[in-house]
Amino acid sequence: MAVSRKRGALYQLEILETQGFRSGSQQDRPQEQQETETNLEVEILKLRKLRDELRAKVKLQRASARKPITHLEPYEPVNNSEENLEMKLEKAKAFFQAFHLTGLSGKLTTKGVCVCFNTAFEGNILDSYYVELSIQKPLKIHRHSIPVFFPLEQIAAKYLQTNFQQFVYSLSEHLNAYSGRKYQADQLQCGFSTLLARPLQRNSLCTLLSFTYTGEPTGESFPFCARLVYQDLTTTLPTNVTVTYQGTGATPASWEEQRAVHETLFYNKALHKVFESFLRVKENLDCISSVPTSR
Amino acid sequence: MDEIVAEFIRRTVLKIPVAEIVKILTIWNFLPESQLKNINLRQCKEDISQDVVELCKKGASMKEAAILDIIYHQTYQTKKIWIVYKMTKAPGEEVDLSDMEEFKDSFKKVLQRALRNVHISFRDCEDNAVWIRIAWGTPYMKPNQYKTTYVVYHSQTPFVFVSHGRIKKYIPELWQALMTAGNYQKIQQMELRSIYLDSLKAIVFKQYNQDFQTYHHTPLQEGNAESEIVDPRIIHENIKEKERIQRVTRETFGDCIQPRIEFAQYKLETKFKTDSKNGILAEREEPFRCLVKFSSPHLLEALKSLAPAGIADAPLSSLLTCIPHKAMNYFTVREK
Repeated sequence: MAVSRKRGALYQLEILETQGFRSGSQQDRPQEQQETETNLEVEILKLRKLRDELRAKVKLQRASARKPITHLEPYEPVNNSEENLEMKLEKAKAFFQAFHLTGLSGKLTTKGVCVCFNTAFEGNILDSYYVELSIQKPLKIHRHSIPVFFPLEQIAAKYLQTNFQQFVYSLSEHLNAYSGRKYQADQLQCGFSTLLARPLQRNSLCTLLSFTYTGEPTGESFPFCARLVYQDLTTTLPTNVTVTYQGTGATPASWEEQRAVHETLFYNKALHKVFESFLRVKENLDCISSVPTSR
Repeated sequence: MDEIVAEFIRRTVLKIPVAEIVKILTIWNFLPESQLKNINLRQCKEDISQDVVELCKKGASMKEAAILDIIYHQTYQTKKIWIVYKMTKAPGEEVDLSDMEEFKDSFKKVLQRALRNVHISFRDCEDNAVWIRIAWGTPYMKPNQYKTTYVVYHSQTPFVFVSHGRIKKYIPELWQALMTAGNYQKIQQMELRSIYLDSLKAIVFKQYNQDFQTYHHTPLQEGNAESEIVDPRIIHENIKEKERIQRVTRETFGDCIQPRIEFAQYKLETKFKTDSKNGILAEREEPFRCLVKFSSPHLLEALKSLAPAGIADAPLSSLLTCIPHKAMNYFTVREK
């Protein structure tokens, strides 16, 4: 599977996994916690397997081979009693409902298949997007809820007819990245508006952000102007950062160091995290300065 | 302050309903709040507008007055008819970065190079759109601030919404400026126009009818079943037909509110069809030209309710139901 290891559904699952490991190893765990943990791990593996099988199923639908849903149950013994069938149906429905946590799920509709992309960034669940495809010889997108400025046609032109799996992965990558960038821009605009001289300027895809800011909430001047460019549509970190000093004349040495540091920060951390660190630095400085010096 | 500017501001304020004047002036952000609080709203509108002009006497130029005009039209969008244009790029081009500042600069330069004496103003709004106001002049006359064209453009989308006003002869220069600034190859007018700008956006951005079927979301509960009939011996005679009509209507129109447009126009160029062999119109080779126009305060909702109300058969003609899908409300129907 040509899955980008950096972003997307697998990445989300890995994050959840490592968080689970870390929180477990930090404390003394009683017996039942260990048990629930192993159960959850088993559950995750089962869900992954089911998800892969469902994906394969969607592919098979194109060739118009239909498999009933109950064949996908991996571990229940086949038993024809009515309650058991009902329970299996309920369980299958519950699995499908939980699928949105993987970021990628699908459902057969009367016209074809409806694929749902649930996006997330750093553990925050963000918007969902839907693409309804009609299952005919040339696959066609019947309708979708993806914004009009998104390069859906380009991705479809590249992959839809030749490699459906790649189409779905690529679209998921782009959508997750777009949601991530939008989330960072929204967080900056709402959460740190005191540090900005005027509202953040951005384009629809959030691939170009420009703002004038300061590192100190009490400062009256906004010495820096930053321009972040995201050339790669599949990333949530910028590819080009320019931070310029706003004052007149050449940049004084004291500001120059800060400017360079800020540039590096913007390259490596999410936007709102950078501004959080500005506030933390300010708080630390305040704490230090408020400690009374002994004579 | 110029007499022309003063008169323009006075006339703009006169257009605003009294209850909204302070709100719009606050959005304008040119007069301080203290002065706005002191405006006496109990006088007649003529006097209110005179007061506002007095307050603006220090420092208002045509630039600020143009912004006030844009804000007025942003609040009262239905005063103009909006036409939708679609721009296309050359195939195979990458998604470009679309800097709004560069777009505005480039647009202004190209238009001012082509025509002297144009007055261009920009106002950004949220949802990444820019409103452009262009006042046209001639090579020998200053721009006429009452002959204006408005353009609304969302960044990185291929659609532009234009309300032309009475000036039609500078349209090619306007197109050239839009295409150069936005980096597009072609522009063409879509057969879609309405006074409701938001509905036009909903139609071309496909923002209506967003309910998709997934396992995760619970389906909408069908409320208000016929629960007032308690006696089970009473049944609806035509319940099957009613349910069929409801189903067909839901499949065609979806469950959500339709975008609001006020008319659809069909130009027919089809031959007259009749069973009788007599009459002037029978067996006529030339097409029978006529224009059919449907108008309504909310045309698509009205069409949606035709079949359930029993006025028309379900399914409706596809010429009527395709309006939002095809993003057209001007049709030419020819012989097949």
